[in-house]
Amino acid sequence: MRIIRLTVSALIALAALSSCTQVRPWERGYLAKEEMAWDRDVLERQLNDHIFFSKEASSGGNSAAGGGCGCN
Amino acid sequence: MKTKHSRSLIALSTSALALPGIAHADAPPTESTLSYKISNYQEDDLTRAQVPFGELGRYDIDVHQFQYVSPLGRDFALFIDANHEDMSGASPWFSTANAAGEPVINMSGASGITDARSELSIGTRYYSQNGNFGGAVGYSEENDYRATYVNLSGSRNFNNDLTTVTLGFSHSADDIFPTDAELFNRVRNEDKRATSAAVSLSQVINRVTTFQTALSITEQSGYLSDPYKLQDARPDNKTQIALSNSLRYFFIEADGALQANYRYYRDDFGISSHTLDLSWFQNINRTFQIAPVLRYYSQSAAEFYTNIDDFTKPLTEPQSSDYRLSAFGAFSGGINLIADFGDWTTTFTAERYVANEKYSVYAVNQPSPALVQFVRLSLGVDYSF
Amino acid sequence: MPYSLRHFSFKAMGSPCELQFYDDSRIQARKRARELILESQRLERKYSRYLEDSFLSQINRSAGASAGISIDEETRKLFDHAETCYHLSDGLFDVTAGILRNAWNFRLPQLPDPARLSDLLALIGFDKLRWQHETLYLAAGMEVDFGGIVKEYAADAVTRLARELGIEHGLVNLGGDFSVIGSKPDSSPWPVGIANPRQPEAMMARINLRDGGLASSGDYERSFVLDGKRYSHILNPKTGWPSSGLRAVSVAANLCTVAGSFATIAMLREEQSALAWLEDSGLPYVYMDSSEEIKGPALQAAAPG
Repeated sequence: MRIIRLTVSALIALAALSSCTQVRPWERGYLAKEEMAWDRDVLERQLNDHIFFSKEASSGGNSAAGGGCGCN
Repeated sequence: MKTKHSRSLIALSTSALALPGIAHADAPPTESTLSYKISNYQEDDLTRAQVPFGELGRYDIDVHQFQYVSPLGRDFALFIDANHEDMSGASPWFSTANAAGEPVINMSGASGITDARSELSIGTRYYSQNGNFGGAVGYSEENDYRATYVNLSGSRNFNNDLTTVTLGFSHSADDIFPTDAELFNRVRNEDKRATSAAVSLSQVINRVTTFQTALSITEQSGYLSDPYKLQDARPDNKTQIALSNSLRYFFIEADGALQANYRYYRDDFGISSHTLDLSWFQNINRTFQIAPVLRYYSQSAAEFYTNIDDFTKPLTEPQSSDYRLSAFGAFSGGINLIADFGDWTTTFTAERYVANEKYSVYAVNQPSPALVQFVRLSLGVDYSF
Repeated sequence: MPYSLRHFSFKAMGSPCELQFYDDSRIQARKRARELILESQRLERKYSRYLEDSFLSQINRSAGASAGISIDEETRKLFDHAETCYHLSDGLFDVTAGILRNAWNFRLPQLPDPARLSDLLALIGFDKLRWQHETLYLAAGMEVDFGGIVKEYAADAVTRLARELGIEHGLVNLGGDFSVIGSKPDSSPWPVGIANPRQPEAMMARINLRDGGLASSGDYERSFVLDGKRYSHILNPKTGWPSSGLRAVSVAANLCTVAGSFATIAMLREEQSALAWLEDSGLPYVYMDSSEEIKGPALQAAAPG
């Protein structure tokens, strides 16, 4: 499927990119800020995942599906 | 760490922690955190045009979420999550055609439903020089549903911690025992299983940019239909995949961060979807932050979706008028207001969601009359000690 | 065997050091203390400027060599931390600035020869270091000195080792740089004394340390007065002249290494800039300013925590 092929090429490109980037230790301050985290507010993300799982057909993405509920 | 520190302190702590004599690169939390969030979720009433007879009100849900995170020894952390929901309201029971041949909804029950759900999960994570590994077990229970689940995940850092690969796995075993089963001739007791695996790759692009791509696959089997709908029969297995890409970019002069996520989903019920999330996190000063959020969602219809139930069709054939399997699009907008007082942080969130077949990028052959609109308000508190 | 407080005094990093920790066996305490003392001595043997066969001296002897010198992970991370300090201090904290002491002789009240000073300044600059993967190429005449980092790092490394050995309540003191292994058994903090730069025997302040580290930087010795003006030994690596800022500063942070970096950078800045730097860190600190007054938010925190 085209999407799978796109992902694989994106992953390969990223792996190649990774040898090029150089972030000096003193520059990592911005990356450590909480607003740059993948999950700044865990409870908010869990709540949103739960609501959208109950009200829409889609789920998953960046983690293996979590718990269960009778809402879908 | 959920506290706001000076940039110099963050930079010096980061490079000090990299020293081999001091700590692992992947460090467990240094302090304990207790978080609580209370939310109210309220769906808009339907109109009399949509529901010729009966209740117009839909769901009204109060949610309480608790989380406790604490370091455990030198290399471990403990995670305890507990949720409780109280819900009342009504949901679509079946769909018929009115005199003009348009679909109209009949809502469940005369007085509506009340239900309560409680969930508890306990997990632990081990942190090492190059990554981490952990898992959790959980249990949830409501009047008509029980679920037990387990999940495991591990991360590995490469390339001077600029690259991270994560693998995750989860399995859930659910038990369904609908209320008033005999009265309404519903299934008495069914079960459902779901197994899921996910892989993700995160990469630091430069000092202000990070990117993540992730793929997850889930297989569900068992009773997948909605027992409360009169004419709902779905296949007894479903395979779904989701691919998501996320970006975080920090604007130094503006002192704000852009978060963008895009997810593509597809399953073998015939549903595909696109989800786009955009969020801007703006620092106002050391104490106050504001973060508006915008989300666009659109899905296609399931192959067996119909917006008017056909009661002559045998239930051995897949069919459903559940609006969640129809083609539609949805916009939601929200705002987060955060106040950080060091050990205490409070967050207020307000969100408005509107689903409409006109917002769909997919072809809509049978629009559902029961698309949902809701408002959600939340107030959260975090305490570190 | 009673669970009681044990003391071990020793010399490392060219300073008097002390370990205090609770243990219920005298023999076990001695064994643990020996491990901890060995770890501090390992770091001294590796990074001391005064030991001819230290790794630091080998690095300095490699100056000008075309093959460069291969650097291990620990040293590489020390250079990384030094680089963070270099950038955050706008170049004032520079581990290549040690050679300036060749122009200044603090035993005699004598100003340096300007020509000599400018020759040395040409050989100073962290950004002049050249790296090829894990090999360092040090230009001829340049020198590296990890003063301001290593003693504080040693305090943190000894603390981590102490915890791994099973010590729960203790305090590490390496020549005035402190790190808490764990608060006292009754959860009370460790009182630590900060030396007064004006009166060596007196204390500038007494701080209660519950956890984390406390590091100090100051003008305790090696200064002279000429024509009514004081010349401290804390030299600005860009001008070659002493910085005229605070007399002494002590900072408390989660890690002694971090506290030490904040304190040292504060000492290198001019007084106003130093105070703004300390204020912005969000950390507790105490200082003695140029008019010899002792101030700082850590003074108000007389109560534990």
